[in-house]
Amino acid sequence: MKHLFRSKLFKNFFSILILLVLVKFLWFVVEMIWLSPTGIGHAEEVGNKSLYYRVKLTPNEAPAPVKKQPTKIAGSIKDIRLLAIYNSEDTTVITVEYKQKSKVLARGDEINGFILEGAGNNFATFSKDTKTYRIDLIKSKRSSSSRSSIKSTSKVSPLSSKKSIKVKGEVTDAGDHKIVDRSLLDHYANNMDDIYKNIGIKEIKESGKIKGFSITFVRRGSPFAKLGIKRGDMIKSINGKEINSYNAAFETYKNIQNIENLTMVIQRGKEEMELEYEIN
Amino acid sequence: MQMVKNIFITFIVFWFALLLFMPKQELYFTLEKELAKQDIEINEQSINEGLFSLNLIQPVIYVKGIKIATIEKINIFTLILNTNINVKSLILDDSLKSFAPEKIDVANISYSLFSPFKVNIEAKGSFGFIEGRANLNERSLRLDFNETTKELDSIRSNLQKDEKGWYYETSF
Repeated sequence: MKHLFRSKLFKNFFSILILLVLVKFLWFVVEMIWLSPTGIGHAEEVGNKSLYYRVKLTPNEAPAPVKKQPTKIAGSIKDIRLLAIYNSEDTTVITVEYKQKSKVLARGDEINGFILEGAGNNFATFSKDTKTYRIDLIKSKRSSSSRSSIKSTSKVSPLSSKKSIKVKGEVTDAGDHKIVDRSLLDHYANNMDDIYKNIGIKEIKESGKIKGFSITFVRRGSPFAKLGIKRGDMIKSINGKEINSYNAAFETYKNIQNIENLTMVIQRGKEEMELEYEIN
Repeated sequence: MQMVKNIFITFIVFWFALLLFMPKQELYFTLEKELAKQDIEINEQSINEGLFSLNLIQPVIYVKGIKIATIEKINIFTLILNTNINVKSLILDDSLKSFAPEKIDVANISYSLFSPFKVNIEAKGSFGFIEGRANLNERSLRLDFNETTKELDSIRSNLQKDEKGWYYETSF
């Protein structure tokens, strides 16, 4: 009698089939228990553009007159006498005598048109326009001879000598707002690492969501220090756009070269402040 | 002998079935979820599942919500013991061109279970040819730039040099 099927072949085929079904079942179980049936779609943030851009209404795009502030030439560095210094890693506080009154200044504070940039063991450095000035502590008995104008920031003191790259452009204080040279802005727009050499920024999260970005340090003598931002400030919005995600921050950074004015809302302690900049 | 032959055939069939029935898309989705925990997101236009591979068409990579790169195609091919990821035409976001080469024509990342801590990387682009390896145990990455091209100038500040030439090294 001739067999219709070769039983061995059939058996082998059947075994392979069972094996295939087993593997399929195995994967099915894995899929059901551990694997995700759907992927994660990235939702592009809508409305990435700033809420507003402040525009100049002057005709023909004439450059805004550079306010070199002749009004601020009022005082001389010689009117300021350094009485005491408190200097730690993150805080610099000095006591000065000005017009026969003593005043306590923190880094970034202004007196007689001079901005406190930093302090060493027995001296403090101030900046005004492009120049940096050094005042020695009055007790060091070198007061009269040691006041000197230092032409470049890099020569000022050991504290600011760490500044590695001299960037073209400056930040000028125009009273209610600050004027930032476009060349300075362009430099930082094209060299992101240079930003992080001068300023530290970290995210602030609240129940897992980014609330804003906080300043962890501002390098003394850097253009960022002249922008008026301080350690501990939290950046909340720029030109009306909330900075509540890395994407929002990065989008602003990417478009920074196209803006002419910038309004930054920061939170300093419990107070909310608005900082205004004009890009020139 | 027959026994060995049977075991061998069973093994091969099992292996083949394992690869064939592997839920590649779901495995990829799981990988996507794991990456999302590290703030890395991949948004692809479409996914094509092959017999032994998975193709991601026009994926866009986001890190912390920031668009980092756009890729024409990623092909993931696995034989379980050996996995290859082939990346075709990766274009980095404009703003990152000072950190890394702007365009990578082809990149190949290979991983083998025989050396479980080693990942080999090869890439080719306008910057020349890159050869590198990542050590998962030491959590380090080294990329050697085998050619010195003009393109390298923009990222040279991030590179180091030894007797072999320019290289990039980092830990993760």
